[in-house]
Amino acid sequence: MTLGPLLALIVVLAVAPALPGIATRTRAFLTGRRGAPVLQLYADLAKLIRKNVVYSRTTTPVFRLGPIITVASVLVAATLLPLDGHTALLSFSGDLVAFAGLLGLGRFALVLAGLDTGSSFEGMGASREVTVSTFAEPALFLGLTVPLLATGEFSLAGMLGERLAGVWTTAAPSLSLAAGSLFMLTLAETSRVPVDDPATHLELTMIHEVIVLDHSGPELALILFGNAVKLALFGGLVISLLVPRGEFPGWLAVLVLVGGLGLVAVGVGVVEASMARLRMNRVPQFLVAASALATFGVILLLR
Amino acid sequence: MRSVLWGAALILSAGAAAVLLRRWARLADRLYATLLLTGGALGLVPAIETLGGNPASTASFSGSLPGGPWAFALDPLAAWFLLAICLAGPAAGVFGTAYLAAERGHRNVALAHALFAALLAALIGVVTSQSMIAFLASWEVMALSAYLLVVFESEQLEARRAGLIYVVLTHVSTLALIGMFAAMSTTTEGRTFADFAAGSQVASTPRTLAFGLALLGFGLKAGAVPLHFWLPGAHAAAPSHVSAVLSGVMLKVGIYGLLRIIGLLGPAPLWFGWTLFGLGVVSGVLGVLWALGQHDLKRLLAYHSVENIGIILLGMGVGVLGVSYHHPVVAVLGFAGAVLHSLNHALFKSLLFLGAGAVVRATGTRVIDRLGGLGRRMPLTALAFGIGSVAIVGLPPLNGFVSEWLVFGGLFSAAGAPEALRFVIVGAAALALIGGLALTCFSKLDGVLFLGQARGPVPSGLEVREPGAGMVVPMLGLAAACIAIGVLPMLVLDPARRVAESVMQVTASPPDGWADAAPRIASVALGVILAIAALSWLRSRLRYARKAALDETWACGGLRLSPRMQYSASSFAAPLLAAFGALAGVPQAREATAFHSHPMDLVQDRAVLPTWRGLEGLSQRLRHWQGGRIRWYLLSVVATLLVLLYYLMQWKGAV
Repeated sequence: MTLGPLLALIVVLAVAPALPGIATRTRAFLTGRRGAPVLQLYADLAKLIRKNVVYSRTTTPVFRLGPIITVASVLVAATLLPLDGHTALLSFSGDLVAFAGLLGLGRFALVLAGLDTGSSFEGMGASREVTVSTFAEPALFLGLTVPLLATGEFSLAGMLGERLAGVWTTAAPSLSLAAGSLFMLTLAETSRVPVDDPATHLELTMIHEVIVLDHSGPELALILFGNAVKLALFGGLVISLLVPRGEFPGWLAVLVLVGGLGLVAVGVGVVEASMARLRMNRVPQFLVAASALATFGVILLLR
Repeated sequence: MRSVLWGAALILSAGAAAVLLRRWARLADRLYATLLLTGGALGLVPAIETLGGNPASTASFSGSLPGGPWAFALDPLAAWFLLAICLAGPAAGVFGTAYLAAERGHRNVALAHALFAALLAALIGVVTSQSMIAFLASWEVMALSAYLLVVFESEQLEARRAGLIYVVLTHVSTLALIGMFAAMSTTTEGRTFADFAAGSQVASTPRTLAFGLALLGFGLKAGAVPLHFWLPGAHAAAPSHVSAVLSGVMLKVGIYGLLRIIGLLGPAPLWFGWTLFGLGVVSGVLGVLWALGQHDLKRLLAYHSVENIGIILLGMGVGVLGVSYHHPVVAVLGFAGAVLHSLNHALFKSLLFLGAGAVVRATGTRVIDRLGGLGRRMPLTALAFGIGSVAIVGLPPLNGFVSEWLVFGGLFSAAGAPEALRFVIVGAAALALIGGLALTCFSKLDGVLFLGQARGPVPSGLEVREPGAGMVVPMLGLAAACIAIGVLPMLVLDPARRVAESVMQVTASPPDGWADAAPRIASVALGVILAIAALSWLRSRLRYARKAALDETWACGGLRLSPRMQYSASSFAAPLLAAFGALAGVPQAREATAFHSHPMDLVQDRAVLPTWRGLEGLSQRLRHWQGGRIRWYLLSVVATLLVLLYYLMQWKGAV
């Protein structure tokens, strides 16, 4: 195994906390405000790690394990993606099932950690989070079926790697549809507008934020970091579909990825500035639309 | 094979011991548990040897037995299902001794143990028998002992009703199987499975009939939608350790039967494959959706069995279609996924039902919304139940993930095929939706049962505490098996492939990416576990965060939270059920201060019962004919005779 994928992973993990900052800054700029610095999350993480924690008396070890399992599963999921455009640290046929499963494990742990507090707010957030993700799941699989069919490869590293550049000329419409679908998923999975609003300050309107209401200190830092990495992973999928990097040398591929991630974050910010949050009962429709988009991509390839 | 039969005999003798020694309860329980475990081990060893590549072994008993010689055989398919029976069965049996100990005073516990042993022995008989009468005899013993166990708590109206529906439908299933064997017997003299296989003719009417009746008979047993409606009631009403075997093992006998018929009659027709696939998608999605709306802990788990049967049928359908369209790789992935999921489901569903049993024993209720915060009082039960939940949702690093990965693999590799086979990719979206819904459902269940605060008082006389070793050890054992398969999938992937090939009667080696995936799945599983360990260690090294302050849960700065303010199971599931509308079958009622939802079974309450009542109404109209007036009866007799005479004259030419 070469060092390439490992270095790429480290780079992505290092830049991930900047992405929410870019999105927030873009939103602030477009709505005529100055906004927090792009690197705010790094400062927040550094601060939270050094803070003391407060636990609720109702909680059990589940509450403390939740954030740890979330970050651990997101990290392992990251090793399945070909971040340097060629290979992944771990790759096998059907590893997209593992990718989705690992993200699911992280979500399961976090939702249970929320329910562990016995608070009605966290219960509400947990209920909404799983509702949203239930509808996101088919969209993720359908979105990834598109490169699978286009390249005939069954592993993420294969379908998003070198073969993709060759088929891009013929499968471009499908791949763009899949990328669009995955971008919509990025918004849902990382709790951004129009599914959730990270800037909301009212518990009743929150989804993700309200699950972690009771987490503090290093646990909160882990959750924030995990969410940033998740944004990077989904953004990475979108970029990999739109810009096949298989023919680039490794360093250029990573550079393109990092630049692309920045653009995805700007895109998230633009969406946040240009539209309001959907009503809670409209969110499933948004995600069904994402599934439909990916389904069109699949149908074009099945012919 | 002899050793397996000895194992079955030991299990039967365990039942006999429980009845004969019922005066000496402790001794009886010890002996019963020991004999069950020994019998299970005697079955397990040859099963593992056969799956490891040993040739199939047979045993045959001729003499004055009805229906020709009674043949038994241990081939890879039988060995695989024997594995499920001998792992989950004795574990549930041991749990049962501790579980039923509390009921010794007012119920015939010894008889329940004997029936349970008979059920296990009959299950072994079903999967190993190789001739018609031996199969049907074992089948009937299985069905009847299960019925008697379902109505064990017969003072409950609910148990009697569930038992009635179950016993009627299981006999519909038996009838369909007798018809199936009759159809297969038209082409051959012998009555062993080998004769049926030799007599099978491609594209003949009896063969089509046999496939159709197998679908009905075994589909009923497996509980595929819309033939599932007997299942939730029966599995909820039985004692919990029996539910574990009914749900975990007995449903799989339906799956075994379908696989056996596919293996015997050779390549199944296309319609059969597509029907299996369709049943799989429908059962999977609707099963988990209906589970989500349930308020009864055991009914919820029972609906999840419908879901998992759906996943298994999905894999089996892909397997049959792969054979029909000549894509052996697709077929082997589909079949291997189906059989592996059968074993996995036997492990984690038994575990979950045992966990449910522990909860019911400790709290005296199955209503989810009355429970809460059990994790602090019953940490080991909560741990085992949590492991079972992660496994059933199909998440790494546990066993459910491995089998779902195989089924997905079959679907993905079919998608590249040129024929109509490629449309099975719909199944991938369905399977993804199933996964999402299952995650929701088990978040709800684990969160409401074990986390948060208790939602109501425990009935007097009960104390919520960890059950004894007799109940905890079987649960932890099953949990360990789930972890072992998840972390070391190489243990089961090769045997599962061998079983798939024996069903397809083709050897197919999957291409590299699929064949050498086992160590990489193991790395993913170990990676997650190591990452969790590493992060926990790092977290414990943080200087400031080591001393945690304890306080109340944040309540937006004002009021104190009361347990009644927690999200309940109903409110947790409400948004998702609302999104699915009428399909979810959970009518909701909202008042100013309360929210109610009333789950119903759409098939039973909207289709079966109305049809039944309609038939009843029609037959009511015929009743006045039977009013006791002799002249009406005479007139009927004469009219019938006249019609028959006319028939004979007109069509048969006889006068």
